[in-house]
Amino acid sequence: MFDHYVKHSRTTILFVMMLGAFIVMSIFLPDKFLSLSNFQSIASQIPEFGFLAIAIMLAMLTGGIDLSIISTANLAGVGAALILTRQLGDYGEAYIIFLAIISAIGISLLCGFINGLLIAYIKVPAILATLGTMSIFSGIAIVITKGYGIQGFPEKFLYIGSGTLFAVPMPMVIFIVCILLMSLILNRTSFGFNLYMLGSNPTAARFSGINNRGILIRTYVLSGLCAGLASIIMISRVNSIRPGYGSAYLLQAILVCVLGGVDPSGGYGNISGLVMGIIVLQILQSGFNILSFSPFFKNVVWGLMLIIVMILNFYSSRYTQKVRSKLKVE
Amino acid sequence: MTGTMSKSQIQKIFSQNEAYLSLIIVAYSILVTSLNPSFLSFENLLDLGKSSASMGIMAIGVFIVLLSGGIDMSFTAIAISGQYIAANVLIASGVDNIYFAFLISCIVGLGLGAINGLIISYFKIPTFIVTLGTLNVFHGILLTVVGTKAVNSAQLPDCFKKFGATNVFALVKPEGGSYGLSIFTVIFIAIALLTWFILTYTQLGRGIYAIGGDMEAAKRAGLNIFNIQFFIYCYVGILAGIAGVLHVSLIRYSNPTYLVGSELSVIAPVVLGGTRITGGSGTIIGTLLGVAMITLLNKSLILIGLSSFWQEFFTGIIVAISVSLSSYQIRKNMMI
Repeated sequence: MFDHYVKHSRTTILFVMMLGAFIVMSIFLPDKFLSLSNFQSIASQIPEFGFLAIAIMLAMLTGGIDLSIISTANLAGVGAALILTRQLGDYGEAYIIFLAIISAIGISLLCGFINGLLIAYIKVPAILATLGTMSIFSGIAIVITKGYGIQGFPEKFLYIGSGTLFAVPMPMVIFIVCILLMSLILNRTSFGFNLYMLGSNPTAARFSGINNRGILIRTYVLSGLCAGLASIIMISRVNSIRPGYGSAYLLQAILVCVLGGVDPSGGYGNISGLVMGIIVLQILQSGFNILSFSPFFKNVVWGLMLIIVMILNFYSSRYTQKVRSKLKVE
Repeated sequence: MTGTMSKSQIQKIFSQNEAYLSLIIVAYSILVTSLNPSFLSFENLLDLGKSSASMGIMAIGVFIVLLSGGIDMSFTAIAISGQYIAANVLIASGVDNIYFAFLISCIVGLGLGAINGLIISYFKIPTFIVTLGTLNVFHGILLTVVGTKAVNSAQLPDCFKKFGATNVFALVKPEGGSYGLSIFTVIFIAIALLTWFILTYTQLGRGIYAIGGDMEAAKRAGLNIFNIQFFIYCYVGILAGIAGVLHVSLIRYSNPTYLVGSELSVIAPVVLGGTRITGGSGTIIGTLLGVAMITLLNKSLILIGLSSFWQEFFTGIIVAISVSLSSYQIRKNMMI
């Protein structure tokens, strides 16, 4: 009963924050913030970044972290770009696009699988395993491209990143479908249930017959897949790929997870909180862009926010414990 | 379960680790020398010692943090902040004194390290998240408030250049010119000795091992966790400040965007040196060997005919393999 209340109060706080950010922006920057083009640009930026945030969230739910998502996205993007620019052979356009998407997804699944093997079977702490693979994946991308960018993809491929479906940007359509699927996986399948169990207490999970290794591997493969999807949208939106592209997203993705109520020590967090966190961040981001803040100053704000949210969480969990022990006494 | 392992057993495993690493270093040096005979000269070795000092000092800081069971991502931002602020203050004040530069850089390092230490020890937030946040805050504030313009070689106060060229003893080359043991190497070794002393002979040092081994047990044994953690991050900050000054004295150029982003290349030698990744055990000798190995590798990639594009890939491979081996060893020991 009480847990139910805590869970909902958290979602309410987030919702109020989202509304607050929206109202503040609308009052102070009415003509620039409240414009259709601004909302469209927000809507087209949310997905690539949202997929990366989901990737981090999945790892965090198991009590780990996946620092290699940006590198996975880069490597998958480089693979797709090589095919799209016909550097690996000339075929029909439709076939090339199909092949590029398949290979981006394949590469990202493989990257996730490698992370999963290191973490589940060799039992390397997730943070160090993915720190290492982060360097490996982006190292491969750098060696392949020699540090240069690849650009100029077929017209039809660009539709994924910049086309619209009934006035909704295409990336947004893909993203909405994926978050619906993802919340279905997390809330309605045994895999999702086991994932939360593993995150809150791995030992208890193992003794209740959950295959921890299998769950961990599948989690990191899924996290890699999200990075791959982000990469397809990303390279299609900017029509190019360069190793190191999107490295600023790592801090923001971790921030969004923490803001959205995901517990970095595992077991707690849901998609709806994450999505609200993404929207809050994106509203602020667009405000900063209108005010033309420098990227360094944005990083200061994101870094501060990350620490402040964690400090607030520290106090709120302390408060919750106090109330809970009081309830027990009564 | 690891607690039941006797101390001699732990020492055996790690002296084994260090022996393997030394063997690999020797074998690799022989390989590179056979490809390029100029590699294994006394001059080149002294030069390697000089150029690895700045990275090595930061690695000692990372070593202590890993030992205590945490991780630090912000030390590069602290090092560049110390360096860039020191260079700018020296230019602005007109004082051309290297001790003053060290003083400023260390004060900046101590201050920023103390912020890390306070947040980590008081609020008990995961160290990775705190230091990822402060990495961006420190670096962002440096670039926003202090500036983004690089201090070039002509503007840089002479004391840095003079310090960078200081040798403890000098030898004359047969074909003219001289080389010698740089003061950088001496500072590096002095810091390594000091850290070894703190870790081995002070209660504080034993406390660092203890909280890395088992935080809860250390708390129940009556150790002051707050003080120990606070000390660790302050110490790392000071080391980063020293490394920052060495770095600018070596390259004679202070760019506030340098160093940040190279965290993994400093973490790599520490995990390669056998520091247990979950905390509690590891030796400073291992870290020094790790620094030697990574420096060798970075310096020799071009000599053995691979482009510098491979550097990041190799760093990643080394980290992945050494953390895997370390985790495998821990598991094997737990089964016994």
